[in-house]
Amino acid sequence: MWSNTENSVLSAILNELIPDNPDKGIPGAGDIGLCDFIAASAADDDMFGQQVFSLLRLAQTSADGVTTDLVRRLEEALPEAFAALLTETYKGYYSRPDMRAKVGVGAHPVHPLGYEVPSETPELINELTAPVRARGPVFRNPTGGMT
Amino acid sequence: MTNEPVDVLIIGAGASGAAIAWSLLETRMRILCLEQGDHLADKDFPSRRDDYELARYGDFSVDPNVRQARQDYPINSKDSCITPVNWNGVGGSTMNFLGHWPRMRPSDFRTKTLDGVAEDWPVDYHTLAPFYEMNDRNTGVSGLGGNPAYPDYTPPHPPIPIGQLGQTLAKGFNEMEWHWWPSDVAILSRDDDGRQKCVNAGTCDLGCAAGAKGGTNFTYWPMLENAGVELRTNARVRQVLVDEVTGFATGVLYHGVDGQLHEQKAEMVVMACNGVGTPRLLLNSKSKAFPEGLANRSGMVGKNLMFHPLTGVAGVFDEPMKGHEGPMACSILSQEFYESDPSRGFVRGYGLHSGRSTTPMTYALGGYGIDNPIPWGDEHREIMDNVYPYLAGLTVVSEDLPEEHNCVTLDPDLTDSDGVPAPKITYRLGDNTRAMLKHGEARATEILLAAGAKRVLSKNDDKVWWRAGWHQMGTCRMGNDPETSVVNGWGRSHDVKNLFIVDGSIFVTAGAVNPTSTIQALALYIGDQIKTNIETLFD
Repeated sequence: MWSNTENSVLSAILNELIPDNPDKGIPGAGDIGLCDFIAASAADDDMFGQQVFSLLRLAQTSADGVTTDLVRRLEEALPEAFAALLTETYKGYYSRPDMRAKVGVGAHPVHPLGYEVPSETPELINELTAPVRARGPVFRNPTGGMT
Repeated sequence: MTNEPVDVLIIGAGASGAAIAWSLLETRMRILCLEQGDHLADKDFPSRRDDYELARYGDFSVDPNVRQARQDYPINSKDSCITPVNWNGVGGSTMNFLGHWPRMRPSDFRTKTLDGVAEDWPVDYHTLAPFYEMNDRNTGVSGLGGNPAYPDYTPPHPPIPIGQLGQTLAKGFNEMEWHWWPSDVAILSRDDDGRQKCVNAGTCDLGCAAGAKGGTNFTYWPMLENAGVELRTNARVRQVLVDEVTGFATGVLYHGVDGQLHEQKAEMVVMACNGVGTPRLLLNSKSKAFPEGLANRSGMVGKNLMFHPLTGVAGVFDEPMKGHEGPMACSILSQEFYESDPSRGFVRGYGLHSGRSTTPMTYALGGYGIDNPIPWGDEHREIMDNVYPYLAGLTVVSEDLPEEHNCVTLDPDLTDSDGVPAPKITYRLGDNTRAMLKHGEARATEILLAAGAKRVLSKNDDKVWWRAGWHQMGTCRMGNDPETSVVNGWGRSHDVKNLFIVDGSIFVTAGAVNPTSTIQALALYIGDQIKTNIETLFD
């Protein structure tokens, strides 16, 4: 959809939007090839495609390459296009099972496996609710007045 | 397909349509339900996909204006701070609701008498109690008996796990000596009647592929269809027809799966299209006898729209809260601030709901029902790595008071794909609600700190959640006075004696709880009244 240069610029922008965390082995959005997701979204939505293109065109006028400051300037200059790109970036990044797992959420589809969550024992629930029960009813009964 | 006349024609296969069909089953009347959507095949539940979260922003959005499916109708909500959400298909919005199942409380039915606001209902809690219980059994409700916020009752199944998050918050409530209780949920805590217990997937809004959530697609409809109730899908009703001489409803005009307009005759018409769809259809059913819309001689059709305006506060804790594991809106519920207290500066009250956290994409995009992405860059990384996993939140669910200017009307230009005029929502927050939400945010903050949160995140603005229009109530309210209400105390139109309404539009007040258990209890009660009064039903 875009030239190699544009892809490189887009990838760098994506890495600014969702940066990596080397300490936790978490890659940035550009590093995982999210350009492909953005390209697919742009192909489905002409307006979004034009918005990305306008961001890329503006980014390529920077002599310093893609920096945090440049991305901030893009946000200021083209706020709607930037917001659209940010939304698609978050959608693309966190729709990846491997990225979901990086923030502690299962990589698997949630059905049929779901998650193991142990039930509280009756003793624990009794202990937790005891102070609530001890305070007695907390509702008004219109036929009987305040209880 | 046959269009032979039927005894009972129900419009809408959601919560209330299914419940009243079940109630009327024993009469052996011929019952037909017209549903504008379709069944959802098991393989189509998005929670079975790797990228399941994407569905929330596309074909499984709760917002019909986002989904834009063929069976959906658009809703103009430009003049509202909350947009209605729904599902159009078998199960209705129980397909994508979250299954939180609190009952309304006795005082909710007597707000005029007790607090001098709104109107009293023509029914009360104790009249509905047996129907709540009946519906809890049919739905498969889990919870803990003995809740001191209600007259005594016990749900049929034990509670679902409240989890690390619920236990943590419960300790905070206990520290403050405030009420809380494990939530009643329309979600199975154990296998029941061929349905699987909850697997804690955490994506209740994407439809429950396990069948644990008590959507009527899993509870009532399989039983009803087996018993001979005809469920005709892809059938969008355009107009309810009336006999200009007798003033009785004679049936409906609907667009069928073939794209053609059909007439379906019926002895009795039951509307179950929710608090937006029902007034829309009545307002679209104008005739010489009803030039302002069917059953609208009071002028109250579409008026008094109530939602449950929501806001939320979250705490960041030291331990991971695993908030994505378990039913997404149901852990514990506090009703400490539910009843009126003049010292608070508002009437009526609110609940504090511990919805669990959501999944990463939804959190990054601003949260459930909110379009406000979290920051990008280093701050994004910090939030997702060091805040998101440690979150526990409380949602303030406020009671909305009925106000006539909050309403459903017909949009002059917008239509659905069959050319039927679409609804327009006009809605603004009342001052009472604003005061309530502000009070709730402050109390939620206190609880989170008492529970051990090392910091609390709040929005610091007075905006409510945008896609929070789940609960659409009040637009065809019940009452004994035909001048000020649309239906009587058992759901029969004051103006059209063989027309009944059974959905949330007949609510007189909103309470501060999720309404589906009350909607279905009311539908069962109305069904019972129809059977009781069968000999003189249309007099």
